[in-house]
Amino acid sequence: MELISYQDEGQFVSGHVACGGCAEALAMRVILNTVGSDAIGVVSPSCSAVICGGYPMSAVKIPMFHTTLESAAASASGVKRALVAQNKPDTTVLCFAGDGGTYDIGLQALSSAAERNEDILYICFDNEGYMNTGGQKSSSTPLDAITGSTPSGKTTRKKNLIEILAAHRIPYIATASPSHINDMRAKIEKAKAIRGTKVIIVLIPCLPGWGVADNAAVRTARKAVEAGVFPLLEIEDGVNYRLNVSEKGDSIESYLKEQKRYRHLDAEHIARLQAESDFQWRRLQQRVADSPERRS
Amino acid sequence: MNVQQSPLWTTQTSGARLTGTWRSALPDYRFTPSPCLAACPVNGRIAEWIGKIGKEDIRGAWETLIDNNPFPAIAGRICHHPCQSACNRQYHDETVSICALERYVGDAALAEGWRFDKPAKERGERIAIIGGGPAGLSAAYQLRRRGFQVTLFDAKPKLGGLLRYGIPDYRLDKNIVDGEIERIVDLGVEVRLKAEIADAAALKKLRDAYDAVYLATGASSSKKLPGLDYGAPWVVDSADFLAAANAGNPVATGERLVVIGGGSAAMDVARTARRLGKRVTVLSLEPEDKLPAQRVEVDEAIEEDVVFVCGAMMRAVRPAAGGLALDCVRVEFTPGKKRGEFAITPLENATFTLEADAIIPSIGQNADIERWRGLLGVAGPVIGTDGVWRTSVAGIFAGGDVASMDRFVTQAVGMGKEAAVEIARFVMGETAGSGFDVGPTLSFLEINTHYYPKAARNSPATVAVGERLKGFGEVQERLATAAALAEARRCFSCGNCIFCDNCFFYCPDMAITKLEGGYEVKSDYCKGCGLCVEECPTGSVRMREDTQG
Repeated sequence: MELISYQDEGQFVSGHVACGGCAEALAMRVILNTVGSDAIGVVSPSCSAVICGGYPMSAVKIPMFHTTLESAAASASGVKRALVAQNKPDTTVLCFAGDGGTYDIGLQALSSAAERNEDILYICFDNEGYMNTGGQKSSSTPLDAITGSTPSGKTTRKKNLIEILAAHRIPYIATASPSHINDMRAKIEKAKAIRGTKVIIVLIPCLPGWGVADNAAVRTARKAVEAGVFPLLEIEDGVNYRLNVSEKGDSIESYLKEQKRYRHLDAEHIARLQAESDFQWRRLQQRVADSPERRS
Repeated sequence: MNVQQSPLWTTQTSGARLTGTWRSALPDYRFTPSPCLAACPVNGRIAEWIGKIGKEDIRGAWETLIDNNPFPAIAGRICHHPCQSACNRQYHDETVSICALERYVGDAALAEGWRFDKPAKERGERIAIIGGGPAGLSAAYQLRRRGFQVTLFDAKPKLGGLLRYGIPDYRLDKNIVDGEIERIVDLGVEVRLKAEIADAAALKKLRDAYDAVYLATGASSSKKLPGLDYGAPWVVDSADFLAAANAGNPVATGERLVVIGGGSAAMDVARTARRLGKRVTVLSLEPEDKLPAQRVEVDEAIEEDVVFVCGAMMRAVRPAAGGLALDCVRVEFTPGKKRGEFAITPLENATFTLEADAIIPSIGQNADIERWRGLLGVAGPVIGTDGVWRTSVAGIFAGGDVASMDRFVTQAVGMGKEAAVEIARFVMGETAGSGFDVGPTLSFLEINTHYYPKAARNSPATVAVGERLKGFGEVQERLATAAALAEARRCFSCGNCIFCDNCFFYCPDMAITKLEGGYEVKSDYCKGCGLCVEECPTGSVRMREDTQG
C-alpha cells in the first residue's frame, strides 16, 4: 500500500475547536505543514476561521489575518503586495475560505484577484453549504441535498466554480480530497512554486451538515472521488486538464448512503444524480482529451 | 482553564485547550490474532513474517517463523495449510499463498545455511523424547532452545519418521528433510538411533532416569481392511511400499494396482506407483469431493492419470485370468460428526468388477498403544492425554499421531511445541497451563480494504505432467522472488500493526505520537472521533469506551 508521507513540522496545533473527526482540520494540517513557516494566512469567516482560532489562542503557527466574508482574495492580494513592497516576495500568502466565501459572497473578490493574476494560494474548503452558521445551502450545495434552507432537497445544480476559474486562465487550479493526502500534499507543493493565482478546492464532508458519522469523513470523501462525484483534477493555465484519479469505480449510491442529506432519495432521484455525475465526468474527460500539451 | 494572556498582540497556541474532555471513547492499540494464526497448527505469527518478506527481510521472516516451527521448508511443501482456508483475503479476492511463502523463506534459510542460535543459558534438567518424527523433533527443538538437555530416541536408522519414510520425494525432497533436521540436532540434541523403547517397563525405566519423557512414536502400523487376506502375495502394505520406494528400492508388484483409500497416504502410494510405471486405480468409499486428501494432491493425481473410482467399496477378491478380479459395489457415503467417522450404505444394484495384479490398502495408520498397556491410559485408538498433553503418568507427556487423531504433519509439529511448553513448566515445578486457545480473531469487517487493491494470487508453478512421471523430482516449484514479494504484499496483516502511520496522519487533532515500535494516544487532545480506527488498514486500533472518570 502507498504510505502517506509529509513531515509534520507542528504548523497546526492540537486544541483547536473543529468537531471531532473533522476533515477540514485534517486538510489544514496537511496544507499548513506543506506550506511551512514562511507564509501569512488570510481567512474569511468560515469553519476554518474558527478552527484557526480567535484571540487569544491560535491553532496555527503562521500569522492569520481574519478578514470579511466577501474579501478574502482582495485582502490576500493586499497582503502579498505589501510583502513584495517589503522585499519579501517569496513569502507565501495563503488564503482560507469556505464555499460560502468563495462560490457566493467572495466570488467577486476572487474573480478580480484571478483576473489580475495576484500571487496568492487560495484554498476553498468546500463543504457544500453554510455549515458554520447552522447548515444553510450555498451555490455549492449539490442537486437534491437537504440543508436547513432546502428542507426537501436543493432544486438546482451545484455551481461549477472550476469552469468559472478556468475561464480566468489562471496558472493553476486543482481539486483535493482529505482521503488522498499524498495527492493533496503534492498539489500544495506544486502550487507554492507557481507565481500567480492558484486555487485549490478541497472537498470537506461536513459531519453535522451532511449527516456523516464521526469516523466517516475520510471514507465519504474517498467515495466521492471513487464515484467520480468529486474528480481529483488539475488545470494549468485554464486549458490543460489532467485527472489524477482517472478511473471511475463505484456507482454514486455508496457515496450517497454515507450521508443523511441524501437519505430521502428514491431510486429515480439516485438515477438522476448518477446521470448528472456521468455527464460531468464525460465532459471532464472531453476537456482532458481536448487539452493542448501541458507545460513541461 | 488557566489561560495566560500574552502581553503582545500575538497569540499563544491552542495547546492550552484540552479537547480530550469532549471524548467518550478512546482508541486502543492492540494486537489481535489473525485467523491464519488461530488456524495454524503451530500458531505461527504468519502476518508478522509475511510482513517481513514484503520488506525483503527474509532473514527476519525466518527468525519469526522458527519461533513456532523449525521446519519452514518442510511445512511450506506439505502443510495442509488451514491458514489459507481461514485467510480473510478470500472475502476480498483470493486467499494469500501462505504455504508457498513459507517455503520461499525455508528454502532461503537452507540455501544460506542459517543456523539456530544456541540457547542463551544451559539448564540441568534432562528430557527424553521417544520418536524422531515431526512431533518429537519439534519438542526437541523447543526444549533445546530453552536450554534443557534433550535425548532423542528413534527406532529407525535415521531421524524424520513419517517425513522421511512416509512422504514421497516428489512432494518432499529428502535433502530438505536432512537439512532441517540437521539444524535441530546441531542445537545439541543427543540422538540415539535404532534405539527402540520396547515396552512399558522400558518406558518406566526411562521416566525414572529423566526429569520428563515425551512420547511421540507416531502411528506406524497400517490399518487392516476387514476380510482381506494380508498373507496373500498380491496384498502390499502401504507403509512398506512407501518406505521402500522412498529408499529407492521399490517393492516388486504387478503392473495393475488398486489402491484402496482416499487420504494423503493413498495419494502418495498411487502417485509413487505411477512414477514406477504402474497403472493405478484409487478405490475410495468417499465421493471425489469428500476425499480426505488435500485437493491439490487429488488434482495432481488426476493429472498423472491415476484413475479414481470414488464412492465404492471392494467386497471380494478372486483370482481371474492373468490377475485378480475385485468385486465392488457403489456405496452411499454419509460423513459422521468427527473427522474419520462415517456410515456407508451399499447400493445393491450397482456392482462392478475391477481388474488388478496387486492391491495396496491404504486406509490409515494405527498407533501402537499396546506397547504401553498397563502403564499409560488410552483414549480410544490413541494414548490418553489432557488438554496440555499430560498422560496418566506424571512426567510422561505424549503427542503426535500416538496421542491424537489429528494426523497432519504440522499438527504434530504444533503438538510437539505445546508439549515442550508444558514439559518446561513441569520440570521447573510451575503450574500447568490452561490450554492453547488464542482467543477471538480479527474479522474481515475490521480490515479497511481500500488499502488493498484487488490483486490476483501468485501461486507456485508445477512441473509438467510428462516430466513429473519420469522420476521423483518435486512437483511444486519455489515462488520466484518477484512473485513472493508481490504475494507477501497482498497480506492484510490482520490485527498486526504494520506501522504505516495512517493513524498518525489521519488524526485531525495531532493526538497520536509516533514511538519506537508503536504509537501513543495523547488523551489530552483526542476527541474520540475514531478516524484512526477507520483508516487503519489492519484492524490494529479499536475504540473503547472512555468515561474519563
